[in-house]
Formats: sequence, structure tokens, C-alpha cells
Amino acid sequence: MITASDIQVRIAQKTILQGVNFTAKPGQVTAIVGPNGSGKTTLLRALTDEVPWTGRVQINGQDTSAYKPWELAAVRGVLPQAATLAFPFTVIEVVRMGLMSGIHGHNDTIAQRALDMVGLNGYEKRFFHELSGGEQQRAHLARALCQVWEPVQNGSPRWLLLDEPVASLDIGHQLLIMNCLAVFAQRGGGVVAVMHDLNLTAMVADVVTIIADGHAIARGPVADVFNDQTLSAAYKCDLRTNTVPTHPKAFILPQVARLSCSAV
Amino acid sequence: MTISDSISGIAAPSDRRSRARQAHIWLALLLGVVSVVSLATGPTGTSLWGAIAKLLAGEPLTAMERVVLWDIRMPRLILGITVGAALAVSGAVMQGLFRNPLADPGLVGVSAGAGLGAILAIVLGALLPVWAQDVAGNALVPIAAFMGGWLSTIILYRVSTRRGRTSVATMLLAGIALGALAGAVAGILVYMADDRQLRDLTFWGLGSLAGATWSKVLVAGPLIGLAVIASLFLGRGLNALALGEATAAHLGIPVQRLKSASILIVAAATGAAVAVSGGIGFIGIVVPHLLRLATGPDHETLLLNAALLGATLLLGADIISRLIIAPAELPIGIVTAVLGAPVFLWILLRRRGLVDL
Repeated sequence: MITASDIQVRIAQKTILQGVNFTAKPGQVTAIVGPNGSGKTTLLRALTDEVPWTGRVQINGQDTSAYKPWELAAVRGVLPQAATLAFPFTVIEVVRMGLMSGIHGHNDTIAQRALDMVGLNGYEKRFFHELSGGEQQRAHLARALCQVWEPVQNGSPRWLLLDEPVASLDIGHQLLIMNCLAVFAQRGGGVVAVMHDLNLTAMVADVVTIIADGHAIARGPVADVFNDQTLSAAYKCDLRTNTVPTHPKAFILPQVARLSCSAV
Repeated sequence: MTISDSISGIAAPSDRRSRARQAHIWLALLLGVVSVVSLATGPTGTSLWGAIAKLLAGEPLTAMERVVLWDIRMPRLILGITVGAALAVSGAVMQGLFRNPLADPGLVGVSAGAGLGAILAIVLGALLPVWAQDVAGNALVPIAAFMGGWLSTIILYRVSTRRGRTSVATMLLAGIALGALAGAVAGILVYMADDRQLRDLTFWGLGSLAGATWSKVLVAGPLIGLAVIASLFLGRGLNALALGEATAAHLGIPVQRLKSASILIVAAATGAAVAVSGGIGFIGIVVPHLLRLATGPDHETLLLNAALLGATLLLGADIISRLIIAPAELPIGIVTAVLGAPVFLWILLRRRGLVDL
């Protein structure tokens, strides 16, 4: 279980997040959505100590500050939005870095299977910096997957915290990655993902938190939270949720009728 | 998938790793060979082999042989090995810390800071009371050089790194400023120096192993040895740091501790090397770069290989510096610059994007 209470983030005298409460349960994919600049990435960064924050964050019942860095690394893998890489490492070398904090040591079989999972089989010896943006993102995800390879370890769940894990991927790879995450959750791990695409979120996430203007304005199962009023209010535009009879999950349709030509 | 496919599929990615590990052995052997050549080479015509034959036969060495082999060539050999390893390892560690292949103590003002510390100790050390001079003795110059290198590394890191990202432009420019400042203060001190100190400074500033003595070995050796051994434990951390500070932390690396340790190691190794051998350039940038080309950037193998190759190259350069205008000697800094500067330019040409200011 990840619980965060009363999270406040101020950067350069500006309040980015205010009084945000957040929970994520193992066995579920928990999505964080919201418009650009709402603070959804900042919330993930607070959960992962990348920005100074106040409040309380617990993972598996223990304050994150009470963990040693390597203990925390064994419990959660983090995928930042943009990760850079100095020096010409190959793909497999980058993915193996995910193994070094855990009990697996230099286990190339796990690194290999992680690459297979993200659809990068055959890329092992390619130079990381020669990959496309989407391929790099998937390689980083494979690294994070290696870090928490067994979703449950010694009876406690392990976590993936991901910032827009499918942002620069094509639709086929988006589905592949979201499926990886869903499987990780089904096997007892926990996934927290900042998401941009509402339809993908509706399809894969179990629980969603909507952040708008630095506040968590809605939390709960996707079916409850994704409704016309809440989404339209959060994104400040007219959105409709629909379902089709053959498919139980909702999809979100923007209402083009509200577009005006006032700018012309 | 056949069995051979699956085996090659798993074995192939580790190619660079096993090559890098084999390189430990080859480089150690090469260092051994060059060491023997270094002991056997010199203007006096004293024969290493003759002396060994005598020792094996149980005959006593002549005073000349003892002095040349034991008091001149042996400390010079050890100093060459330690200084070469120190320069290459501090280059590799600094490049890992700054996440940039152009970071080098010589280029970005750390050597200049260490040099300033050494000059301060040489000139102002004379002002200390006699008992303090006795206590500090030979250790004063290396310790001052270490402090100078340490301070410049910290200043450099603070100036050029924000939120875990180092700006190459800022780093190089800050290095130029630090180097200029250290040079200016050193210039003032040279004016204040008396004749004996001036001779010390000139001797020192040439960048040479010629002044090698056992006392220098005893002062610099342990400091450099500790720094090089400590650096071997940074490999995993520096690898993770290549992904950025935040990601390194997520991988379980205590980033602050890693950075402090790296800075201390760079300062100790550079400081001690500069204190005993003056400004020897380019080893720190060329050695890690060649190794990265040959065996990849993995710091877990790179650091030991850098120590071995740095020691080998510096000994090689020292042999050249002794032979090329024998019986006189060329300062070794000239040899490393003549050989190293073109390699450095070649790196710049190949990787122009890295210095896209």
C-alpha cells in the first residue's frame, strides 16, 4: 500500500500541490490524470522524493524517509518522464542497471526477459543513444521492471511508479506496455502511473486520482470518477463518457460542438 | 529457437564485459613489462640484468648499482605507476561524476587548484615555525595540494551542476576561471619566493618524475593507493549516475555520499599526483576515453583498467622523456602533451555534439 497524506509542494514560492491525499493498493493499476500543469507529475515526484515536499508518504506501512536508499530501490522502481544517459552504454547494459539493487545481481536472463516484455527483443547490443525516443522509453521501463522483477517479495508488494510510461509510444506499443503493467498488478504488485491518455486510462486503470490546479479533485474506481461533470470540470472543456454494448469499459469523447472560431 | 541461438542470445550482450575483464590481465602484464623496461633504462649504463645476476649469485652490488637501481630508478618507477594511475582514475571518476567525457582535473582547474595549494605550501611553509616545519615535513606540500584540489572540485561542482545536471559549458568556463585565478595567485607567490623556493617551484612546475625520491613515494603513494582502491567501489554508483542523479537514487544509490566520495577521491589522487610530479596533462582524459572505445563505459571495469593503463602510459612517456634527448631529460609533461593533445582533438572532432555550447 502507498499512502500519501496532506502533500504540499512549493517550488520557487509557487504552490504546485496543496493538501493532496493519495492511496494506491497492490494488485491495482492506479492512474493519476489531470490537465497539463495541474501537478500530476509533481505528485509522482513527491512520492519518489524528486522534489522537496511536506506531508507524509508511506510505502508498505513505513515512511519513505525511514528506508535506506537501497531498501527503497528494492521496493519500488521509478520511471521518470525524461531520463538522460551519459556515455555510450548498450541497451542491455542499461537494463542490467535495474538488477544491481536487487537480489538478482547480474542476471542476464531477467534482463533479457524484461526486454522481451517491452518488445525490444534483439536490441541488446544496440547503443542506447541510437534508439528512437519510444524505444528508449521502453528500455528504461525494462530497467524499472528488472528492479522489481518479482511483484511480491517476502510477502510484501513491490511497486512501479511511472511518469507517462506510454507518452511517446505508438498505439500498439501503448497497449503492450499497459498490458505489462496490468499483468504486474494482477500478480500482486502495485502500479502508479501518471497518464495522459484518458481512454487508455479508462481501459487499463482500476483506480484513478484526478489532479487539477494542485488539488486532488476526485479519487476512486475509474467507473465512478470518469463521468461527464468531473472530467469536464477538470479539463475545462466539454467531455462525454460513453460505452459501447460490446465493450464494458468507458471511452471519453470530446464534444467538438463547443469549439468556436473566436480566434480567427 | 535452437539451443545455440538461446546461448548466443544470452552470451553475446556480455561481450564487452568479458573483454573488459580480460583487459585487467593484459594491462597488468603490459604494466609489468613496461616496469621492467623502466628499471632497465637510464643514462648511466647500469645494468638491471647484471645486478639481478649478482643478487642471484649472492654477490654484493656495487654502491653505484645500489644507488642507481634502488634510490633513483625504483622510486621513480613506483612514483610513475602511482601518479599515472592517479591521473587516469581521477579523470575517469570525474567524468563519471560530471557525466561528461570532457571532465578532467587538468582541464577544469582541479590540477591548477592543487598546484596552487602546493605552491602555497612551498612558499608560505617557510614562514611556519621551525618545529611545525619539522612536523609537517614532506607531507605539507601533498596535503596542501589535496586541499587545493578538493576546494576547486567542490566549487566547480557547485557552480556547474544544478538539480543533478551538469552544464558542460558552465563546467569548462568555470574551470578556465578557476585555473586563471589559481595561476594568478601562484604568480604572486612566485614573486614572493626566495631563490631556493623558486628553484623548488621551477623543478616542480615542469611536470616530471625526475625528482622521485623514496620520501615522495612514501608521502604520495599511500594517499594515491587509498584513493585508487576506494575508487574501485564507485563503479556501480557511477554507472547509475550516468542515468542522472534522480534515477541513480531510485536505483538505490546514496547519491550524496557517492558525490562526496568521488570529489574526495579526485582531490586526493590529483592533489598527491600534482604535489609530487607537477602538471602532467592528458592522461586523465585520454586513458578513460580509449578504454571506453575498447571495452565500453562500464565503470565497474573501467576504473581498474584506467589505473593500469594510466600507469603503463605514464611509465612509457617517462621512458621516452629519458631517452629522447639523453643524457638530458625532457619534462614528461611535454611528452604526454605531444602525445595526448592530438588524441584529445580527435575526441573533440568525433564527438562534436558533446561540446555544442
